[in-house]
Amino acid sequence: MTSNILIYIEINDSKIETVSKEIISKIRSSFNDIKLCGAVIADENTISNVQEELSKLPLDCVYIINDNIFDEFQVCLYSKALYDLIKEVKPDIFLMGATPDGRELAPRTASKLEIGLTADCTGLDIDNDGKLLATRPTYGGKLMATITSKTKPGFATIRPHSFKMMNVPNGNPMIEYKSYDISGIACLTEILNCFQKTVSEDWSCAEIIISGGLGLKTKENFQRIYKLADLINAKPAASRAAVELGWAPASIQVGQTGKSVSPKLYIAFGISGAMQHLVGISSSDKIIAVNTDRNAPIMKACDIAIVADAQNVLESLISNLS
Amino acid sequence: MTFKIVVCLKQVPDTNDIKWTENNTIQREGLDSIINPYDIGALYFAKEFKRTISERNIDVEITAVTMGPNQSEEILRKAISFGCDRAYLLCDKKFSGSDTLATAYTLSQFIKIYVPDFKLILCGQQAIDGDTAQTPSSMAEKLSIAQITNVVELFEANEVYSVWEKDTGVKKETIKSGYPLLVAAAITPEPLSPRINDYIRSQNAIIPVLNAQDINANLSCIGFSGSPTIVKKAFRHSSDRNVALYENLPPTEAASLIIDEINKCRNKNDI
Repeated sequence: MTSNILIYIEINDSKIETVSKEIISKIRSSFNDIKLCGAVIADENTISNVQEELSKLPLDCVYIINDNIFDEFQVCLYSKALYDLIKEVKPDIFLMGATPDGRELAPRTASKLEIGLTADCTGLDIDNDGKLLATRPTYGGKLMATITSKTKPGFATIRPHSFKMMNVPNGNPMIEYKSYDISGIACLTEILNCFQKTVSEDWSCAEIIISGGLGLKTKENFQRIYKLADLINAKPAASRAAVELGWAPASIQVGQTGKSVSPKLYIAFGISGAMQHLVGISSSDKIIAVNTDRNAPIMKACDIAIVADAQNVLESLISNLS
Repeated sequence: MTFKIVVCLKQVPDTNDIKWTENNTIQREGLDSIINPYDIGALYFAKEFKRTISERNIDVEITAVTMGPNQSEEILRKAISFGCDRAYLLCDKKFSGSDTLATAYTLSQFIKIYVPDFKLILCGQQAIDGDTAQTPSSMAEKLSIAQITNVVELFEANEVYSVWEKDTGVKKETIKSGYPLLVAAAITPEPLSPRINDYIRSQNAIIPVLNAQDINANLSCIGFSGSPTIVKKAFRHSSDRNVALYENLPPTEAASLIIDEINKCRNKNDI
């Protein structure tokens, strides 16, 4: 049976969000017999900026809801538009990226539709009846739960970088413009000013990540993570424990809600591997772990486990590469 | 006219202290229950808000509410000791098994009936046991009101509007909104220290316990029957990698091994 899947394609600064493309590539590369469509909400100008990219996405169709009222993200307006679209096109499954906007838009839309929603998933599957099975970390990342819903469409938000971008050939989706009545919606807020943060800690383009944890013992030793990352042009990262001790800023912590990474190579120094962390790094191509404890959880969840003192190995690497 | 604030709270297990049974299930006995840390943030903002607009000679009344078992009364007493004026416990077997949609419905039913003239609802951004961050947005929809999530600071408050800072980690925004408004706090301050008077009041307060009928709930929208999501299975994360284990490697050899892998990774990209 063909399953109809609708993906909300989020656009920021006239660019399609990576996670939207990750979801498309995951569906296209994992499942057959799917009718896959995208939904875009934006103002005219933004639409004309992304039109060409939209027209090549490997989708069967793209619904475009354009109106200049959508020039900034207002959750009340966007959720009303999605509500109307879903009522009209009746997908079996509806997916969206668990971006900051997505994490607001999805529950508001689900609440309007009176349907179930699984937040922040790191895995998804479709059962024999075409139902969505969404898997997410819960209990502070200590447990994974696979969740389905009694209501239709099955609805989930997907955590960025949970899926590798696969090579999927371009498509030629049918573009369909939609327009819905959004007058009379009063629950708007006023954005007085907006400050975009720097993307220096953007994990999405990191090929190699050098990460440190408690096994490095001191803040001074942790500095070597930065040193090594710098030497080989990699991104530094930290475990929750290292962040809590003040060795590294929270902005480079891997594994908390929303912070998954998918580099080609992830090297963990002195990280024992709390489940939240292991989930956060699970879509890395290759994982090397250096730890004195051969029984640490990460030593069973990596490709190369080196039983050694992380500090010494780091030091040796730095002197070798300097 | 009194400016009415509702603070929604959740009692959660301390997820830093989870112990596992042999069958990979969570050992619930002896698990400490705490106020969800983000809800402390909501209480903090309620207090800040009250302090700010009290300076303008406006009366403020803060109502705390939670849905949970009888033991949840404990966190409501704490909320009163932190400065809330009154508290309600939504407790009924019919509420059990609620997912975020049913929880949002239940809380919004309570608010519609017991604090219909509310101006501001404060919640924690998410609960540390589920981390879904769904209930605040879902509740704002049920009440058809504006929402600001990921809030880290209160900039300005008066009886007509308030200005907050939203920080999603990707961008920071200063957002102004009129009322009614729902604000989700993304800060986890240390538990507030109660004033002596508030502490005494909290110990003597009568906390009404409301059931499904009291909040005029539609039974098909609450508890298990009102919860569309079903947990199919729960398991611990496992890895399917084939581990190559290296023991007793001197640091220099371990370093060479890692450099080889770094080079392999880089070369792959050159092709």
